[in-house]
Amino acid sequence: MGSPSGIQPVYKASLEMLNLKTLNSLEMLNSLATLVKTHFPAAAVSAHCDGPCGVYDPASARVTAEAVLSMTKKILALVPPAAGDVAAQVAYQNTMSRYVAVKEEQAQKTKEDLLILWTDYFKPVHLEKYPDLHDTFWKAAKLCSACKVEVSLQHAEELMAAVENIHTIFWATKEREVAFVKAS
Amino acid sequence: MIMRAEDDRSQNLPVPELTLWHFLSWCLGRRSRLRVVNRSMLPVLQPGDEVLIDPRAYGDCLPQVGDRVVALHPHQPGLRIIKCIAAVRDSECFLVGENPAQSSDSRSFGWVQVDLLQGKVVCRFGRGQV
Repeated sequence: MGSPSGIQPVYKASLEMLNLKTLNSLEMLNSLATLVKTHFPAAAVSAHCDGPCGVYDPASARVTAEAVLSMTKKILALVPPAAGDVAAQVAYQNTMSRYVAVKEEQAQKTKEDLLILWTDYFKPVHLEKYPDLHDTFWKAAKLCSACKVEVSLQHAEELMAAVENIHTIFWATKEREVAFVKAS
Repeated sequence: MIMRAEDDRSQNLPVPELTLWHFLSWCLGRRSRLRVVNRSMLPVLQPGDEVLIDPRAYGDCLPQVGDRVVALHPHQPGLRIIKCIAAVRDSECFLVGENPAQSSDSRSFGWVQVDLLQGKVVCRFGRGQV
């Protein structure tokens, strides 16, 4: 249906004016909102992510647990010097102290890495699939403590096995197969 | 019955711009203004962006797949989170971030009760970060 001549241009001009007004109103509205926002920030709502990077990996626990096992073996293999050899005694004490210090430190790091995985990465949905998850982490953390307190090859090896088990569960939750590769 | 979004997100559609209606509704206390922190809603919402939510949106109707919502975190009391609804079943929603690589959401904390929804995001408030 055609429009009488003269009406269409008027209608078009009115529409353009209306659009312009609408555009100006929205611009003003946005400027006003931006002003409010700048001077009176609203309460926060979190676009939530657990970590700033969201990166978790049991590899760090594997490296430190391996260091615990290595230090335990070195301590057990360190032969004490003869009683009268003072210089050798000093060297022995120094080396032993260093081995013990590293074992202590690495066992603590292993425990911290495991606790981060346990409390931050693993969630209730994982627990449904792995009902013994809490027990697994609790025992692994206890093994870290045992490796600090003792010089036990058995416990150091059990710690490695526990970390490997956690590694397997972790990557299963991500539906990925990642080999447990040891550095030593 | 479960309704599910095809790609589990609202396909990164932009949040509508502020309108006079929502602005007036906010002035009358019928909309709440919130500021986004963290990065799970990138690229749609950046940290510092503000949005208006309609707290009464789900009084008469059910949440829909694709809605962006503010909810209380099911395991961290008092923490308000902003996510998209990827699926709805009975009285629960599956919430996901726009940015799955940096989002802690229903993939980790599970389905969220509709009771925990605090409102539906209806528009931005002011311009985004430049």
